[in-house]
Amino acid sequence: MQLNESTYETIFLLYIDNELSPKERLEVEAFILDNPSYALEMEELKATVISSEQLQYPFKENLKQQDWEATYSTILKTNMEEIPGLSTPFKNGLKKEAAKEGIVLKPFGFSQQKFTYAAIAACLIVFIGYQQLTKTPVSNSIVSNSLANKSNKVLVPNISTESTKSDATVISNSNKQELVNNIKPITKTKKEILIQEKLNTSELEIAKTNKNVSIAIAEPTRNNSILNNQAIITKLPSSYNNPVTIDALATETSSVDKNTDLIRDEKVTTSYELIDTEDPNRAIFIANFEIDGAAFRGITRRVSALLKRNKSEKEK
Amino acid sequence: MTDKAYNDCVDNFADGVYRFIVKNIRHTEDAQDIVQSAFEKLWVNRAQVLPEKAKSYLFTVAYHQMIDHIRTSNKMPLSEDTAIPHQQIVQHNSELKQVLMRAVNELNPTQKSLVLLKDYEGYSYQEIAEIMNLSDSQVKVYLHRARLILKNKLSAYAPTAS
Repeated sequence: MQLNESTYETIFLLYIDNELSPKERLEVEAFILDNPSYALEMEELKATVISSEQLQYPFKENLKQQDWEATYSTILKTNMEEIPGLSTPFKNGLKKEAAKEGIVLKPFGFSQQKFTYAAIAACLIVFIGYQQLTKTPVSNSIVSNSLANKSNKVLVPNISTESTKSDATVISNSNKQELVNNIKPITKTKKEILIQEKLNTSELEIAKTNKNVSIAIAEPTRNNSILNNQAIITKLPSSYNNPVTIDALATETSSVDKNTDLIRDEKVTTSYELIDTEDPNRAIFIANFEIDGAAFRGITRRVSALLKRNKSEKEK
Repeated sequence: MTDKAYNDCVDNFADGVYRFIVKNIRHTEDAQDIVQSAFEKLWVNRAQVLPEKAKSYLFTVAYHQMIDHIRTSNKMPLSEDTAIPHQQIVQHNSELKQVLMRAVNELNPTQKSLVLLKDYEGYSYQEIAEIMNLSDSQVKVYLHRARLILKNKLSAYAPTAS
């Protein structure tokens, strides 16, 4: 801070406005002592400062607000001191009797929560089972038939759960041709019935004797006259070892299964979607999983109701 | 700010705000109204106002309400004799004081508010700048100009008084 003729007025104004530090104020005072001619200038500037004046606002009490926190605390304190405790009979009247153990329901020995989970699982099982029952059954023979159409091989499905790897056998084209040549299609419906009966009895016998006999069913063409080099063995005993063995009944049953396969083929077209691949030996089948919307909504409603009830019981 | 802090503000700052307003507009009833509305605003917004900022908040609100009041009512400052009852203002009888007050009343509203906030309330330039929505340098320049005007008027009145 440099005090001279050009700066003194600004610094003096800062001085009277109390905007200088104590050190700067001392410098100004020292400058005035050294230069008495500036003392008058300082006095004139000091005269412009208005001295403090007491002026009271007359309605100060009206501006004040009720201090509710203090008021409430005071009221609460005094009331707690004044109000006696509740009587014992009144307190006993507020009490609730605890539920007896014998009354508590435990369905099937489960707790309420576990029972709810079990109920939900049962609902899901029933729902899935219902969906499976109402769905069009697709036999393994149809799937394998379609596979056989794509490839030049015949897949033999495993029927028995006890069958080993040798049960699933691929029949070569030459053997198939032999099978096909022996098959004679029958178109009469009465014969079909008889053949079906015979087939059933023979199957039973096969099952009883468990001999190394297999039944091969070759699928004829649509006109039921010419057979392709495709044949499907629909059923084999678990002890099947010779894939070429053909029972005479098979020649008769082929047409029966053909008709049923035709019907199934129509259903297959609605149940499966065939996707062509570049590899001729491969085919991809995508199954449509259909869900009954009304039944599904009903089950979800029941499940949500069970969950809500369980939640409300927990909250209680 | 709690209710108690608000009531403390009434005790501590109501007189200062009233003095600032009444010295500016020189009308006691209007000044009382402005003070009352300023405290009402503080009460409404007490949750957002910190206790240490309450004084600055009150002066800011009162100053802007005073400006609005002057603009809307289009009232020029009244003469001192008719506007301010002598019972409410402790007047210093010194002639120099009267001359100074006349000179202050002749300043423009901004300069007058600057002088009053500085001399009565002792606010710094920065605080005055916040209250009056000015920059620090503007406060400094305007206030120095006002001081020099007062000094010249006092110098002019002094020979007459003497």
